Amino acid sequence: MGSRLLNKIGLFFGALVLVSPAILFFLWMISLSLKFEIDNGAYPPILIPERFAWSNYAKVFEENNFLLYMWNSVLVTGTATLLALLIGVPAGYGIARLKAERSAIVIMIARMTPGLSYLIPLFLLFQWLGILGTLWPQIIIHLVVTVPIVVWVMIGYFETTPMELEEAANIDGASSWQVFRLVALPIAKPGIVVAFILSIIFSWNNFVFGVVLASRETRTLPVAVYNMLSYEQVSWGPLAAAALVVTLPVLVLTMFAQRQIVAGLTAGAVKGG
Amino acid sequence: MASVTINNVQKAFGNAKIIHDVSVDIADGEFVILVGPSGCGKSTLLRMIAGLETISAGKIAIGEHTVNNLRARDRNIAMVFQNYALYPHMTVADNMGFALRIKKADPADTASRVKRAASILGLEKLLDRYPRQLSGGQRQRVAMGRAIVRDPQVFLFDEPLSNLDAKLRVQMRGEIKALHQRLGTTTIYVTHDQIEAMTMADKIVVLHDGLVEQIGAPLDLYDRPANLFVAGFIGSPAMNFIHGHVEEGIFRSAGGLTLPLPEGIQPAEAAGRELVYGIRPEHIRATGQGLSGTVTLMEATGSEIFATVDCGGEVISCLFRERLALKQGEAVRIEIDRASAHLFDARTGQRI
Amino acid sequence: MSAIAPERAGVTTQAIEGSQPVRLAPNYWPFVVPALVVVGAVIVFPWAFTLWMSVNSWTLGQSRSFAGMENYLRLASDPRFWESLWHTLTYTFLSVVAPMFFGTVAALIFDARFPLRGLLRGLFVMPMMATPVAVALVWTMMFHPQLGVLNYLLSLVGIPAQEWIFNPNTVIPSLVAVETWQWTPLVMLIVLGGLASVPREPFESAEIDGANAWQQFRYLTLPMIAPFLMIAVIIRTIDALKSFDIIYAMTQGGPGTASETINIYLYNTAFSYYDMGYGSAMAVVFFIVIVALSFILLMLRQRSQWIDAEGK
Ligand SMILES: Nc1ncnc2c1ncn2[C@@H]1O[C@H](COP(=O)(O)OP(=O)(O)OP(=O)(O)O)[C@@H](O)[C@H]1O
Ligand SMILES: [Mg+2]
Repeated sequence: MGSRLLNKIGLFFGALVLVSPAILFFLWMISLSLKFEIDNGAYPPILIPERFAWSNYAKVFEENNFLLYMWNSVLVTGTATLLALLIGVPAGYGIARLKAERSAIVIMIARMTPGLSYLIPLFLLFQWLGILGTLWPQIIIHLVVTVPIVVWVMIGYFETTPMELEEAANIDGASSWQVFRLVALPIAKPGIVVAFILSIIFSWNNFVFGVVLASRETRTLPVAVYNMLSYEQVSWGPLAAAALVVTLPVLVLTMFAQRQIVAGLTAGAVKGG
Repeated sequence: MASVTINNVQKAFGNAKIIHDVSVDIADGEFVILVGPSGCGKSTLLRMIAGLETISAGKIAIGEHTVNNLRARDRNIAMVFQNYALYPHMTVADNMGFALRIKKADPADTASRVKRAASILGLEKLLDRYPRQLSGGQRQRVAMGRAIVRDPQVFLFDEPLSNLDAKLRVQMRGEIKALHQRLGTTTIYVTHDQIEAMTMADKIVVLHDGLVEQIGAPLDLYDRPANLFVAGFIGSPAMNFIHGHVEEGIFRSAGGLTLPLPEGIQPAEAAGRELVYGIRPEHIRATGQGLSGTVTLMEATGSEIFATVDCGGEVISCLFRERLALKQGEAVRIEIDRASAHLFDARTGQRI
Repeated sequence: MSAIAPERAGVTTQAIEGSQPVRLAPNYWPFVVPALVVVGAVIVFPWAFTLWMSVNSWTLGQSRSFAGMENYLRLASDPRFWESLWHTLTYTFLSVVAPMFFGTVAALIFDARFPLRGLLRGLFVMPMMATPVAVALVWTMMFHPQLGVLNYLLSLVGIPAQEWIFNPNTVIPSLVAVETWQWTPLVMLIVLGGLASVPREPFESAEIDGANAWQQFRYLTLPMIAPFLMIAVIIRTIDALKSFDIIYAMTQGGPGTASETINIYLYNTAFSYYDMGYGSAMAVVFFIVIVALSFILLMLRQRSQWIDAEGK
């Protein structure tokens, strides 16, 4: 019994060592964001300052149009995710039922293609369409990330829902659309939640599309925070605060939906970009 | 309600022919059971009637209408699946009312029909529960409730009782039969349990490798099996088969055992070919006369005794209703009831 | 139509009402069509367009002309491209090996039961979900040669200060450290999924046979999770090859071109110099590199499964 307990304590400390880079990183990130310039430049470095620089956060929002960029991010991620769910959930259903493995391969290859290779043609297309100054180019190109995630996750879910339920609904007189809407869809709700969360996260985090397509008014948060680095006198406090603001929504989502995310990623092992 | 006509129906999945040629006429209100060993195509045939599988050749009609090209949802049939296929996200009431909801029936009317079905099946208290909150037997009832609420032309059942324990199975058997008597809806019921078939059916269809072996009332099948397959399939414990031929008016087995010819068989019609003599274990009695043999196995259940007797190389299983003081290894004499014996052609398998 | 020869004569004479057997199965194509349209527009069209662009010479603002294989030939003799290819491969190799090692160890630990396991696992997964650019910014501050916390931590154990991403010799390993920090959790999750599917019984019988922990890992666990390790390697390889955010945000390929991978060079070509034709050719070659590597790994995976099956 004694060695069993020792074993558990050993595992706990092993896990702690492995998790420590993550914990220390985020702690340091918070620390940086709450320190005045003097404290951030101190040597040896200070973890917990005497005075907290809450003003760093105020500065982020005051000086950088951050609210606008946040709104852009919400619009781009939200629209791209909703559109992806709208077309990707039925598609996942159809592909699972048709056992259309070839369409799954298209999704796999889409997953392999570097984001930049979509950018060149779509950039030219958007330029030609004259919509470069709006959010639409980003929304559309984010579909490259969100649609494969949704389709991939949903194929997995619909493949596991029993066919007999749908046959029963068929016999009960339901049309294909009714079978989908009244039987298959409600049963796949957990899958939709997973697809939704993963799609939100990977769309929110996306940087490469914004860096090419965003203008001054249409920046998303990752682009905005990157621009702070390049255009401003680098001042660590506000920069770290901005970085935290950008990533906080995703981290909160991760905390609350840990189980779904783990399930989704272990099953499908998807990641966009 | 309607009759069902299955006319020279065939089914192939790709190159694999599953149903070769099946014809069955089912009268309005009849309770027909499809039996056969696993993989013989029972479910496939049922699913073709339901419209879940296409019909490769032949014709299926419900009532007057050929339904080959009708979709499942347009056939007005109800089906109970082996694992019930209850919608997990709907309550019992919603499960039962689903078909009516699809038809955009009046909600009040739906509710009253659900309630009536629930009271028939004793489900009144469970209407607000979800399937996961029900026991196996209750789920089974809900599945049936879902079928009867619709008042369909035909009920289809695919091994509805196979997931239940033995006791519940006996009870549900009675309930389904009673339900049929009450509603009088044409019913097609698939099972590989021949007790179910014998106890419930008006008419049994024995399927084997995609072909109909025999169609008939349960006792007809028991009393006059058309061939060796039906003879061996119907009845438990299974019928004894003894190979041999007819010589000088009596049956002589390959091992030299002699048996009286079954009643009503003329020696002339049986002479000159390889034969199989069939006798059910329950048609053998230990009267102190007849064949002498040695008891090789003996199992007493209380109500009956099952024994196997070695009669000069032929092992014959017997079912005795009376309490006999038999012991393994003991000598015994058994007598065959001529009136209940059968004779089959060994090559064709057909009854003589 | 039925391809079945009628078994008996009666069948042929049987007239079937209605003409042919119709499809009774529900039609699922309408569910897929909208996605097909969108995927066609935003995924397949760009593939085709890139291919076409790659045989044209077109710098934005100038006129386009057909160039045949010119862009590809230029690529073959472009030392900066070869250098970036080399950087990509080094970066990828390290970014696969390190997360694979740490991720597997972490999965083995998190597969066991111990106090606070759920919480620690949740924290462990965090880096992977964090916004890469935000992460990169903070790492840049931590890598700072004078003020960075990392050099301070090193000084505590007596290691001299490093220049990290500001030195051409250490920039790639430093970036790999960030990549490893961020993507080890994904490996962990995949391997954990594999471990969850491992049956318990063989371990019990091995225990009885007197196998020690290492032997159990080597001869039981490892072969059984090999397919999952292969999946993790494939995914990690694809992602590392495509890595952009971290490198671009932290070094933009610098110092000089010391950390310029194909992806960064591609970005610069297409969107700093607006040389779309040349950039497209690079994208095509890059895509081929990714597909080829994935394909090789997939073949290996098939083999590892085969070995797995044989071993049973
Ligand atoms: N969709 C299909 N594709 C190919 N073969 C099939 C398909 N469905 C059934 N089969 C084959 O058809 C044969 C008959 O299947 P069916 O399900 O009708 O058997 P069954 O009589 O219901 O058996 P059981 O008593 O085990 O349920 C089996 O050999 C099965 O493998
Ligand atoms: Mg079956």
